[in-house]
Amino acid sequence: MNGETDHDRLIQAVARTRDREAFAALFDHFAPRLKAYLMRSGAPPAAADDFAQDAMLTVWRKAELFDPARARAATWIFTIARNRRIDVMRRDGRVLPAPELNLGEIEPERPDDLFQTREDETRVRSALRNLKPDQIEVIQLAFFQDLTHAEVAQSLALPLGTVKSRIRNAMIKLRSLLDQPVGEHS
Amino acid sequence: MTALRQPSEERLLAYAAGTLNLPESVVVAAHLAMRPRAASWVNGLQSVGGEVLETIDPAPVADDLLARTLARLSTSPEDLAPPEPANDMTGLPEPLRRYALGPWRRIGPDMRVRDVLAPRHGDCRVILLSIGPGRTTPVHTHAGVELTCVLSGAYETDEGVFGPGDFEEADGEVHHRPRTVSAEPCLCVVALDGQIRLDGWIGRLLQPFVRL
Repeated sequence: MNGETDHDRLIQAVARTRDREAFAALFDHFAPRLKAYLMRSGAPPAAADDFAQDAMLTVWRKAELFDPARARAATWIFTIARNRRIDVMRRDGRVLPAPELNLGEIEPERPDDLFQTREDETRVRSALRNLKPDQIEVIQLAFFQDLTHAEVAQSLALPLGTVKSRIRNAMIKLRSLLDQPVGEHS
Repeated sequence: MTALRQPSEERLLAYAAGTLNLPESVVVAAHLAMRPRAASWVNGLQSVGGEVLETIDPAPVADDLLARTLARLSTSPEDLAPPEPANDMTGLPEPLRRYALGPWRRIGPDMRVRDVLAPRHGDCRVILLSIGPGRTTPVHTHAGVELTCVLSGAYETDEGVFGPGDFEEADGEVHHRPRTVSAEPCLCVVALDGQIRLDGWIGRLLQPFVRL
């Protein structure tokens, strides 16, 4: 029994047959998580409900684009939420496109560049477990708040420099665990 | 200090997480479009987001939310084609083709800017900046953070030469004086936060006219 694989199959059922029961099962699992994600980012509950609904409608519309060989369901749905949230968190109300991530769209230049397979996902998760607790904390926090600017770092009651160096150390450690060199991206 | 020519780790993470503000995200997206390996790493970081989503304490949604969502499911096939380009500068990386552009404005000899009509974030906005061969921008410091990605050509600062795809972060500490060292004009996309300050008495005289 593998819950993740079940979610993959549900998305594929939506893609193939517009299966509403499969969609409802996905909704039951992910909508409350999407809501919690946006509330941790500072949104009120009603706006977070709207956000969860919106992200799940996108799951329905884009199910054909899901590729289980590249990412597990939670990662794919996170990326949808990430793309939506940039719009939602804006205050000016205008609808303009934001830079979007599309998992699987980027073609690697060399075979070892490929960093978006299912196997790599497992490696990232096990690498995360090898970070120090304060490093894990700051990386997770970065998924809810912009930590690159002083005003938000204050909410951690830590100086911005400390937050940045903690993130840097965590990311360098993560890169070393995953064999991704720093500064040799081109 | 050696310039890495790529976003800092915390800015890359904020971009991957979707917490980075939009003007800065536009410049990072342009950089990633020109650096497939860095883009691949950012894609890899999505699985950290997936882990965040799987491990968060769920917040129960409104009782009728599922019913309301089911009522809105479309039954017709979706058009999943990417958006049409919104400007005619075909050489721009894809993330920049999504935005309309303002008119070119001359700000000095062989120096032109045009607005990228992406959403602003407070004082932060995005511009394209073109500086002719051999030209040096006035020495300036930044009230806030300035992010630059070179799109074509190259410029040089005290930190070294920056060519196509290279990314530079400058904050209030940096006295910045890029000089174009390529034979063609150097075209950059820049996220500017706050007014730039031109240094020196000439700069102060120029300031009212520059309006970057």
